[in-house]
Amino acid sequence: MKAVGARFPRYDGLLHVTGRTRYVDDFKVPGMLWCRTLRSSIDSGRITRLDTSRAEALDGVYAVLTHEDPDRNVVGHLEDLGVPPDMPLLAEDEVRHKGQLIAAVAAESEERAQQAVDMIEVDYEERQPFLDIRKAFDPDQPQVTPDGNVYFYDPYDHCRVRKGDVDWAFEQADVIVKGCYRPQAIEQAPIETQAALAIPEADGKMTVHSTTQAMYFSMGIVAKFLGVSLNQIKFVGGTVGGGFGGKVDTAVEPIAALLARKARRPVKYRSTREEEFLALWTRAPWHIEIADAVSRDGWILGRRTLTLHDAGAYTGFSAYGAMKHLHHSAGAYTIPNVFMNSYVVYTNHVPTSAMRGFGVTSVSFAVETHMNRIAGELGISPWELRLKNGNRIGDLTPTRVKLEDPSTVPTILACADAAGVELPSEYAQMTPGERSGELLPEHLEDQLGKADAWRNR
Amino acid sequence: MRHRGRGLAAIEYPTGMNLGGDPSQAWIKIKPDGRVDVFAGTVDIGQGSRTVHTQIVADALGVPYDWVTMDVSNTDSSPLCTGTFASRGTFIGGNAVRVAAEKTREALLAIAAQEMEVDPNDLEVVDGEVRVKGTPTQKLGVDEVAGAATYAYGTIVTGSGGWMKPASEPDPETGECDPHAAISYAACVAEVEVDDETGEVVVTKLIQAYDVGKAINPTMVEGQIEGGGAMGIGLGLLEQAYPYYPTLEHRGDRFGHYLMPALKDTPEYVNLIIENPSADGPFGAKAIGEMANNAQPPAIGAAIHDAVGVWITEMPATPERVLRALDEREQRAPRRDGKWLIFDDDISITAVSSNGGDGFIHVSLPAADVSGSGGGGAAGPRRPDPGDPGVARGSPA
Amino acid sequence: MRLMVNGAEQEVDSGPLASLLHVLREELDITSPKAGCQQGGCGACTVLVDGKPQRSCLTPLASVEGAMITTVEGLGDAGELTAVQQAFYAKYGAQCGYCTSGMMLAATALIDATNGDGVTRQEIEEVMGGHLCRCTGYVKIIEAVEAASRGETFDLEELRRAGTAGGEETMILDTGGQS
Repeated sequence: MKAVGARFPRYDGLLHVTGRTRYVDDFKVPGMLWCRTLRSSIDSGRITRLDTSRAEALDGVYAVLTHEDPDRNVVGHLEDLGVPPDMPLLAEDEVRHKGQLIAAVAAESEERAQQAVDMIEVDYEERQPFLDIRKAFDPDQPQVTPDGNVYFYDPYDHCRVRKGDVDWAFEQADVIVKGCYRPQAIEQAPIETQAALAIPEADGKMTVHSTTQAMYFSMGIVAKFLGVSLNQIKFVGGTVGGGFGGKVDTAVEPIAALLARKARRPVKYRSTREEEFLALWTRAPWHIEIADAVSRDGWILGRRTLTLHDAGAYTGFSAYGAMKHLHHSAGAYTIPNVFMNSYVVYTNHVPTSAMRGFGVTSVSFAVETHMNRIAGELGISPWELRLKNGNRIGDLTPTRVKLEDPSTVPTILACADAAGVELPSEYAQMTPGERSGELLPEHLEDQLGKADAWRNR
Repeated sequence: MRHRGRGLAAIEYPTGMNLGGDPSQAWIKIKPDGRVDVFAGTVDIGQGSRTVHTQIVADALGVPYDWVTMDVSNTDSSPLCTGTFASRGTFIGGNAVRVAAEKTREALLAIAAQEMEVDPNDLEVVDGEVRVKGTPTQKLGVDEVAGAATYAYGTIVTGSGGWMKPASEPDPETGECDPHAAISYAACVAEVEVDDETGEVVVTKLIQAYDVGKAINPTMVEGQIEGGGAMGIGLGLLEQAYPYYPTLEHRGDRFGHYLMPALKDTPEYVNLIIENPSADGPFGAKAIGEMANNAQPPAIGAAIHDAVGVWITEMPATPERVLRALDEREQRAPRRDGKWLIFDDDISITAVSSNGGDGFIHVSLPAADVSGSGGGGAAGPRRPDPGDPGVARGSPA
Repeated sequence: MRLMVNGAEQEVDSGPLASLLHVLREELDITSPKAGCQQGGCGACTVLVDGKPQRSCLTPLASVEGAMITTVEGLGDAGELTAVQQAFYAKYGAQCGYCTSGMMLAATALIDATNGDGVTRQEIEEVMGGHLCRCTGYVKIIEAVEAASRGETFDLEELRRAGTAGGEETMILDTGGQS
């Protein structure tokens, strides 16, 4: 009997329906403390005073954590990929967004921990926040980082894709359609909030129960904050109450582990729903401008795009997400001549992060809305416009990867069939096979040749 | 008055971390009674990787599904998985357990070949039995082979392996690179009702087709299609962390303030699964997880346009945005300039930035716009040529 | 204070204003109700109080003295799954499982009130509309509740061992070999 292709119920389904699945928050160990956090109440400013002494003196408080406690306070999520680290785990002399972590308390109960947090004194010198990514290069705007408001991709302040001869395409075009698209910030909002239970073992090792979506990744990050090698930490997890990208952030594990080390007691940090909404990272807002050079008969000859990605206050995963976005800015279509730039812009919003479809959800919205506008302008059916320009076997992506198994055509035809849409037979009979005949106009004949001509000119 | 509309979107989505270089690993041991323990690192966040990986191992090894135990519980016993993100669980994590299962099968056959005194190449594993190809009556149970390995040979039947798409480095000038392990495709038709008095939009039906390469577990694919559909409705109509982005006003700190799709928002679904296999995928599989919420927002936007004739380009299409779009239909009509048709001028960088967006390499605009109307007196001194690839701030060159 | 939980009397130390959720999870180690938001907004902490679904995070302990409290741990007899539990398993009503306990208890109360006549989509929406699920898109939850309300039962052992044949509701198009 073949298992692949069969409809097995969930492996853990019987545990789920009996309430027996053990999530992180369901683990409890003797002597366990609870964590609560102090977070910035302002959007941007300098911390002029931080006094934790009253909190530390409170009965039932075992540890108060500030920027002085981690072995390294600034660890970059993607530093191993060459993205410079910039975000302190606990704020030191400045805060760049409301909700930024400043201190954390481990106490005998959540209530006591919260009382202690409320006794921490912090003074700020507020600054004007920078919020609109479209003004990133405006001279009159506040600067989020000492290096300005834009992330530097070596060797440019943006990442880019160039293929073919986009000037030729815009000269040839019968119509050029331009639009702006602004998908908003979204919360991942799994029903389980981020949680970690850190247990300092007798031999000095640290066990961390975690809701992470990526155990080795999060373990690596915690190890850096603790200044230890990977054999000193054991991550326990694998069973998570929904992620959607937010639980890659590893927001609670380092805090629980550092508090546990300092208090020499197990510490559970279960983030509150208010923290999830106001302080933990969101899906990024984007600003996308697209101009497409189009022929009257429905060929997309060329595309220029300019994307601004709102990273929020720190880099996080943004350098990665904005490039992934860039690489998919042609959508499910073959556009031989492209000129596409993607910028990461810092603001005083909460740092933005991965969420389901990271980088691409935004550009899918932009590209597909744009396609529908083009179809409207040309008076062509949106089905036919897409089928005509859709990816085919042997076509090149904007980054010049040859496609082997594209399905623009079969997915659209399946939808047309189910929606009762009648298509002309040349479209209804289409396959994803290699281009020929009318589907291979001159401008698509030698995609790579044109690309190289541009590169070598 | 309520208006009906229908809209289409078609998308693609990559498998694996962009630019690759993101490995997953697995190792497998067979107990003396033939039952199989898999240790892998892929976190099951609800999407069902534990089930899917178990199915892959069962077939790659040749044993019944319920012989297989999947342990992803901790980093001491499980090898590395880069993580459950980037739609990499089925493809890369699945390939890792497939490779480990194939290695384990080789180890199993080596023992079986000694026991049966045949060439291991003449053996196959089917339904928990090691059989001589073409002579299925000549066989040993996997339990017998594993027992022999343990007690007759004093060894262990085990196998391990990993899978990775090697890292690709983009050309800094052209962006040329090989960034994905596979690409999945989808199309979506949204049907909506728009109330032009309240601005409320209701999605009544989603027809969605997904090419997943191979549906390892079709019901779980449906679960992604429907769950992604709900999330796409949230993106398209309801959800925003900053209701008045980019300002910080009215941020919600609870579900009552941050609206995500509830049971009543569930439309009728038509789910279509297409199996156009990937040569590198486990059993041909590609991916579905993330892309499942990407196609609905533009399809909903197109359906709104079909219903009431306005484009909503600031997602989500809240009642407020729909009503504003209807009220401002004339002011926001696209501008024509020669062969240019320019939508959304008022929200563009040029309009909003005090220096017209100087510093960005502009999406090419007709000359009239580039030299003039860009929102504010402090127009920058230098306007980069839109075709000039060399304009870069902070460039070391 | 004394509480009746899943048919057994329990002595608890928490004060009268402690939330029932806290008492169940932290004092009694009954962990199926989840602290999804502790704002009354998600439904993951739902328990039955005298047979009626109630959010335990917003329920002060003093208000349930003497009441019969039921959690998922108290559903069914001697390890047998109820129709609702069976249907949530067989119909894939759970993905990550975090909302599942609350969903199942709300469904149980709804079905118990209808005497086995089946429930309508509208009744499900009314009773379960405030329970949030981020994974499933609710379709398979609705199907599970409908199946349970009709008294459908399933061979769980066979399902677990062998799954079911593919291609029930979904059209699967094989476009392999197009080239």
